[in-house]
Amino acid sequence: MAHAATAGRVPERGLDVYTQKVGMWVFLCSEVMFFAGLIGSYVVLRFGAADTWAEPGDVLNVPVTAFNTFLLICSSVTMVKAFAAAQEGDQKGIKLWLLSTTVLGATFLGVQVYEYTELVLHRSWEGSHGFTPAAGLYGATFFTMTGFHGFHVLLGVICLAWATIRAWRGHWGADNTHGIEVLGLYWHFVDLVWIILFTIVYLI
Amino acid sequence: MSEAGGHAASAADDHAHEHPRYMLIWLYLAILTILEVLVAFLAIPKWMIVVSLLIMAVWKALLVALYYMHLKFEPNRLRLVALAPLPAVAIMIIAIMMEYV
Amino acid sequence: MATIVAEATGQAILHEEHEQSFLRKYIFSTDHKVIAIQFLIYTLFFLMIGGLLAMLMRYQIAWPARGELPLGGIFPETMVASGYILPEFYNALVTMHGSVMVFLAIMPMLVGVWANYLIPLQLGTHDMAFPRLNMLSFWAMVPAGILTLASFFVLGGAAGAGWTLYAPLSARPDLTGVGLGQVLWLVALVFIGLSSILGSVNYITTTINMRAPGMTWMRMPLTIWSLFITAILALLAMPVLSAAGIMLIFDQTIGTSFFLPEGGGQPLLWQHLFWFFGHPEVYILILPAMGFTSEILSVGSRKPVFGYTAMVLALVSIAFLGFIVWGHHMFQSGMNPTLGLAFTVSTLFIAVPSAIKTFNWMGTMWRGNLQLHSAMLFAIGFVAMFAIGGLSGVFMASTPVDIYIHDTYFIVAHIHYVLFGGSLFALFGAIYFWYPKMFGRLMNETMGKIHFWLTFILFNVVFFPMHGVGMVGMMRRIYDSTGYAHLQGIEDTNALITWAAFGLFASGFLFAFNFFWSLKKGKKAGANPWNATTLEWQTPSPPKHGNWEEIPVVYHGPHEYSHPDVEDKDWLAQNERPDVVSPAAGSH
Repeated sequence: MAHAATAGRVPERGLDVYTQKVGMWVFLCSEVMFFAGLIGSYVVLRFGAADTWAEPGDVLNVPVTAFNTFLLICSSVTMVKAFAAAQEGDQKGIKLWLLSTTVLGATFLGVQVYEYTELVLHRSWEGSHGFTPAAGLYGATFFTMTGFHGFHVLLGVICLAWATIRAWRGHWGADNTHGIEVLGLYWHFVDLVWIILFTIVYLI
Repeated sequence: MSEAGGHAASAADDHAHEHPRYMLIWLYLAILTILEVLVAFLAIPKWMIVVSLLIMAVWKALLVALYYMHLKFEPNRLRLVALAPLPAVAIMIIAIMMEYV
Repeated sequence: MATIVAEATGQAILHEEHEQSFLRKYIFSTDHKVIAIQFLIYTLFFLMIGGLLAMLMRYQIAWPARGELPLGGIFPETMVASGYILPEFYNALVTMHGSVMVFLAIMPMLVGVWANYLIPLQLGTHDMAFPRLNMLSFWAMVPAGILTLASFFVLGGAAGAGWTLYAPLSARPDLTGVGLGQVLWLVALVFIGLSSILGSVNYITTTINMRAPGMTWMRMPLTIWSLFITAILALLAMPVLSAAGIMLIFDQTIGTSFFLPEGGGQPLLWQHLFWFFGHPEVYILILPAMGFTSEILSVGSRKPVFGYTAMVLALVSIAFLGFIVWGHHMFQSGMNPTLGLAFTVSTLFIAVPSAIKTFNWMGTMWRGNLQLHSAMLFAIGFVAMFAIGGLSGVFMASTPVDIYIHDTYFIVAHIHYVLFGGSLFALFGAIYFWYPKMFGRLMNETMGKIHFWLTFILFNVVFFPMHGVGMVGMMRRIYDSTGYAHLQGIEDTNALITWAAFGLFASGFLFAFNFFWSLKKGKKAGANPWNATTLEWQTPSPPKHGNWEEIPVVYHGPHEYSHPDVEDKDWLAQNERPDVVSPAAGSH
């Protein structure tokens, strides 16, 4: 029966996209819902207590964060460059771009840690010292949203570091680009979320 | 990469395709970010600031999704997967905002 | 190309089998069948725990003034003092019965067990798309279970704000007297969310991309359809609960006030987020049961499922409507009345696809050659009980009626008709039905039939009178109903319900005994004891690691029973090659 079956085989091709990529997109769907829950709550809470929100720049340090946003955008372009290098089998390029993405991501986290420390230790909020998650809904939503984004960046940086190590071992190449592309999808999604968060948390 | 989903094809095929202009997109993103920061501190009515900031944020998000995440070059089947949660997001946010209308 | 890769992995899996240690094979296994059995043991354990909590509750409801709780001495003083269940412990019982049953028993049993077991087998693939993620999705449930059990023994006891965790009751430790217990349960909930999301990613990707050749969308068994749709619901709903749950943890622990009005927060926001998750969750809990029922009814009636396409469309529309009806849980909450009207209408719409499914099940059985084995009995029981539960759901969809019966035992009756009479009946049916595939032996039929009749009769004695008790006005989470004038005269009914509930719980042990007894002593089942058509029956029982030596090719729809062209038997397996010259003819 085996041979006959092979002859009559009509492959069901699914999405015609490789499985890891489909899986990552499906996972990103759930991430969209997670951040939608946080952002939706933020919008509703802010509408309900608009007068307790500070003006942009009064509490949060916009220039530093704008610089941080720029870092994340750069890390996105280095990530796609790594993918492009992998497609071309350019080993040097893979190493260079993956390493720079990792470093940029880690720097973003470093700046965020600096930002948090400054806020908690040196800012004042409604007379009391220190801007913490307990500082009204403004502080609570700020730390929750940026904190969970930071957590996602941290996971991304860990995966990127691992991918970079693999790059030095010659793991990636023109015949092995899927891992970089899938990790890239996650990384760009984290960047995309930050684009939204930066606008609604820091600038509006 | 072509419209017909170049990724399923072998890597050798990919080599032949042109990459999107990643650096140009990066430039757009950087300029939009600077514009956003500038607009946020303009002395114009708040609603105008909010609307223009939201437009720019969505614009940037679209650039990332379409070019960096390659949605522009993916088959519609995969785009459908990517867009699946958006109706649910819209329903959730609209309904909970109804409390303030 | 994808097929070649799948074949290659399959070969790798088959070769790997001989080299695996005990730990890799049974504990940290990546084989979807082993993971499914792990989930089965886990969920049966928590089903028992949840039942035990319910028994304690029933004792208190029937005899609130009596004390003398049997074996009351084994509980710490903070739970049961001199034979009396303390009010705080009663709150914990109510809360944790609901939480354990929904999140640790029924939901992982429907999805964790059967999606894992059936998706690769019924689709004809070697394993899930991401076997290691699959393993992780089971192991994320383990800390959840441990935290839940631990929460009973910390200072203040287990969570006591109801399974819906309404804020501010759940957000401030001083209101319920429960601090750490509530946080532990919320952390458990985040783990459950993680497990559920990882699982869903796997189920969806596998269904989309890893179907056997010829397994087109409209040839998938209805089980797979329902599990696929369920996975989409879980994927989109669970993260919202995780986000809300994390905010609630912050309210409890680090002084935020998302849901606390005194800090500017909004309790109603919690209700919206919870039910935005909660209503899809209701369908997560019933859709797979509908799938199993369709499958078992078709096999047991020796007829194709009546209206296969309509069944699929009904599933899809229930899932879609499931996202726009959550407000019907909140008619009493003081939300915008316009929204209430919209939710009433959308909820009434759900009756349409539900009725389509019910009538199609009856159409499937109509004039069929019914085989009344235990699995079939439970599937028929499901249809009957789901009809009752579904109809009482229509009452509640309309705002004026709902306001009258809100938070009464009428609601308790409704939810148990759909969750116990519905989901759990279908689950029992599924276990009787697929047990031979899992373990190679049939469960004992006599014990199975006794189990069915005991469950069916006692279930109705327990839950049908609750409708009446609720109409009189007995509140859903009341600790002692004897002090209220309007609740005089229902004591006897409550005692009857409690006795029947004890019997119902006891009948569960008959099932458990049958389950373990049949492992060794059950009648040997061949590959296909039910003469069923779907792919899982076309491989040995239990299937080897990797399921197939060679991926099967699908030529037929999923329910080809009593096919007019087949003469020697009344079924046509999905991978049975039609006797035609042209090789491609059977595939379209």
